[in-house]
Amino acid sequence: MSDQPIQIPRHLLRQVEKPARYVGGEWNSVVKAPRSPDDGFRTRFAFCFPDVYEIGMSNVALHILYHVLNSRDDTACERAFAPWTDMETGMRCLKIPLYTLESKTPLAAFDLVGFTLQYELACTNVLNMLDLANIPLTTAGRGPADPLVIAGGPVVFNLEPMADFFDLAIIGEAEEVLGELIDLYRASCPDGRRPPDWDRQAFLARAARIEGVYVPSLYAVDYHPDGTVRRIAPRAPGVPAAVTKRVVRDMDSAAWPDKPLVPNTEIVHDRMFLELFRGCPRGCRFCQAGMIYRPMREKKAATLVGQASQTEAATGYDEVGLLSLSTSDYRELGPLTDCLLNELTPHHTNLSLPSMRLDSFTFDLMNKASRTRKSGLTFAPEAGTQRLRDVINKNITEEDLFRAMELAFQGGWNGAKLYFMLGLPTETDADVAGIAELLDKIEAIYRALPRDKRPRSLAMTVSTAVFIPKPHTPFQWCGQVDLETVQRRQQILRNHFRNRPVKYQWHDAKTSYLEAILALGDRRLGPVIQSAWQRGRTFDAWDDHFDLDVWLSCLQDAGLDPDFYARRNRAADEILPWSHIDCGVSETFLRDEYERALAGQTTPECRLACSACGAASFGGGICFDR
Amino acid sequence: MTVSLRMAFSRREPAIWLAHLDMMRTFERSVRRAGIPVAYSAGYNPRPQLAFALPVGVGIATEADWLDIRLDETAEANAAQAGVWCAALNDHLPPGLAVHSASLAEDDGPSLMSRVQAAAYRLQTPGLAEAADRLNQTAADLPWIADKNSKGRQVKIDIRPLVLRWQSEATDTLLVTALAGSRRNLRPDLLLQVLCALGGLDELAAADCQVTRTRLWLDTLP
Repeated sequence: MSDQPIQIPRHLLRQVEKPARYVGGEWNSVVKAPRSPDDGFRTRFAFCFPDVYEIGMSNVALHILYHVLNSRDDTACERAFAPWTDMETGMRCLKIPLYTLESKTPLAAFDLVGFTLQYELACTNVLNMLDLANIPLTTAGRGPADPLVIAGGPVVFNLEPMADFFDLAIIGEAEEVLGELIDLYRASCPDGRRPPDWDRQAFLARAARIEGVYVPSLYAVDYHPDGTVRRIAPRAPGVPAAVTKRVVRDMDSAAWPDKPLVPNTEIVHDRMFLELFRGCPRGCRFCQAGMIYRPMREKKAATLVGQASQTEAATGYDEVGLLSLSTSDYRELGPLTDCLLNELTPHHTNLSLPSMRLDSFTFDLMNKASRTRKSGLTFAPEAGTQRLRDVINKNITEEDLFRAMELAFQGGWNGAKLYFMLGLPTETDADVAGIAELLDKIEAIYRALPRDKRPRSLAMTVSTAVFIPKPHTPFQWCGQVDLETVQRRQQILRNHFRNRPVKYQWHDAKTSYLEAILALGDRRLGPVIQSAWQRGRTFDAWDDHFDLDVWLSCLQDAGLDPDFYARRNRAADEILPWSHIDCGVSETFLRDEYERALAGQTTPECRLACSACGAASFGGGICFDR
Repeated sequence: MTVSLRMAFSRREPAIWLAHLDMMRTFERSVRRAGIPVAYSAGYNPRPQLAFALPVGVGIATEADWLDIRLDETAEANAAQAGVWCAALNDHLPPGLAVHSASLAEDDGPSLMSRVQAAAYRLQTPGLAEAADRLNQTAADLPWIADKNSKGRQVKIDIRPLVLRWQSEATDTLLVTALAGSRRNLRPDLLLQVLCALGGLDELAAADCQVTRTRLWLDTLP
């Protein structure tokens, strides 16, 4: 494949929406010569995000790994995103292959093509990008000159539906493994150039020995006649029976982009970010991130303050987002926000505080969040009754919610956005009515405040998502509720909030159904994804592009039952399709949590008591500094 | 009295693909990186105070454009310092954007934008001179009607009165001077539309045309 830069004709860029997505040239982007003075030819890595530019550029992993890879003199990392349909049509029509933004080089000329899989519904976009790049879709179809196609991100904790399409995946945090993988790759490439007789299989067999590297083709999967998994076994000696995820043990010394890319066009999270910690101490039972990123590992406030001023100077951003799974659980949040406000306010830089927990929302924090620019408040009670919140281990009470809302009203906010889930295990219509009651009580709290102590109007928002059982969570054995039930419960809320100062938003139950199928799926879904893509499916995460019927008909053609994947309660002794992937949290712990959920018993968070989930085996974080 | 830093700047590939709001954002961030003591607007959502002479459409390059950066009241502004800021900004602009000179301007008169009277453009694409000749021969005294999308509605406008003069430089190059500004403004894509409709310019050549705004006139007509 030619590695000559692509010329993108002006007439194409003039006919597409937002051409700035396709031309690169961002501040801090890195363009390297093909040859390094010291290390021969550079290994070319195309970092691919299977959605549009504005979404991909908002992804933290992209910025961190771009920095990690480009910090190596022997490696050049460039970026590619999924072109929107208008650009795709133009590219196909003009036979322009998918290219990277930095050097406009066709993806097929890269040594490695790495996708970050952040959500299951991006799977058809991966195939579409490979196809646009003229790269064979399956690992089986790739020859010695084709790129090594790799995956990372949360979805790889069950990569099985996408297993056919990737040569390997990195399970867990990639900062350190990627370096080991590139070292191994370069060892197979004299002077940095891939030899014409490069042996992919031999390379993959060696790569499978790196901790955290999963090579799907090196595992055989057999099924029982009822469709459940009978056996997952390594095909060759030296291939581990289970792949354990990688974690970065010490966050203070973890690689951090000191010069992050600054987009020229507006992106979804258009601000610089500070990563307060990885993992989460809380243990909400529906939350995959809360399990797969264990243990909780914090950065020191001093580290973060240093990174903030460095990044601010390097980017010119005027807003800092604090990033974590539960911001208010950061131990040094008070001192950190004080320091940041002192440093940043003189430069008119704002602080954005997402992911606040209701039980730790304080007057102090609220004032800090409103010091510069008043953004909306969002909280996630997740369920409408205490019973159901106990089932999901969301350890907050309605008093927490009412106290936080009263504070917010007194602080000048006229409302908040509250996130709930529908279809949680054991949920009944009464739990959904509980959501309506919570909002009625909030309205009463508002009305009870003296007129001069509250904003003039009340504007609450309620948003409901549909619960999707996810691998590696205590609810991985649960089936999803049926569409009719979800729609009935949405209707309960729609009826209730009509003519009230509450705006009700809900996620489409059909999209969540497909997401459950893909999240809980096995390798037999590979051909289904491929045929759905062949029948025109891309951008499935975009409501106006989504078409469940095509997917159902592809499943039917493959002789597969969607409800087998999405709606079936799994037996305790069933071999789950992802059971050879070890996220550090033991199946015993997950099963125990599942039983406790059904019994309505809560489990304390990591800082109060260790529940021996297994994440202590990684040797760091909260398991040791509690 | 507040003072602005008046900068002459240019934009080339790949920055020509930025929309006006993107240009604002990109310059705001570059100004902040460069450490220029910019003034912020008052109110709920303070923004750095930047004013462009005349926003240009997506896909159009500029060679001599103007931008005012209002300085903070506490800033020590003098000609030497203006030069330092100009160099600093240049070191912090992304590829395709450059500032060429900076002077100090007192903010007492009309805004930069309201002073723009005319602009010169260089259009380059195969067959352009021939199409311009044909337009001159056949429709010099007729209205040049173009379809313009205005607030979601298609309106027909006569762009003939907006064109002050033009000349072809080579077979593929046309130099056009036209009215510009917030009241009466020629959009180069509308001229290309007319060159296709009345001058027989190839549609694809028009879509591929390289468009550069080479000059702006303030206060007086050329």
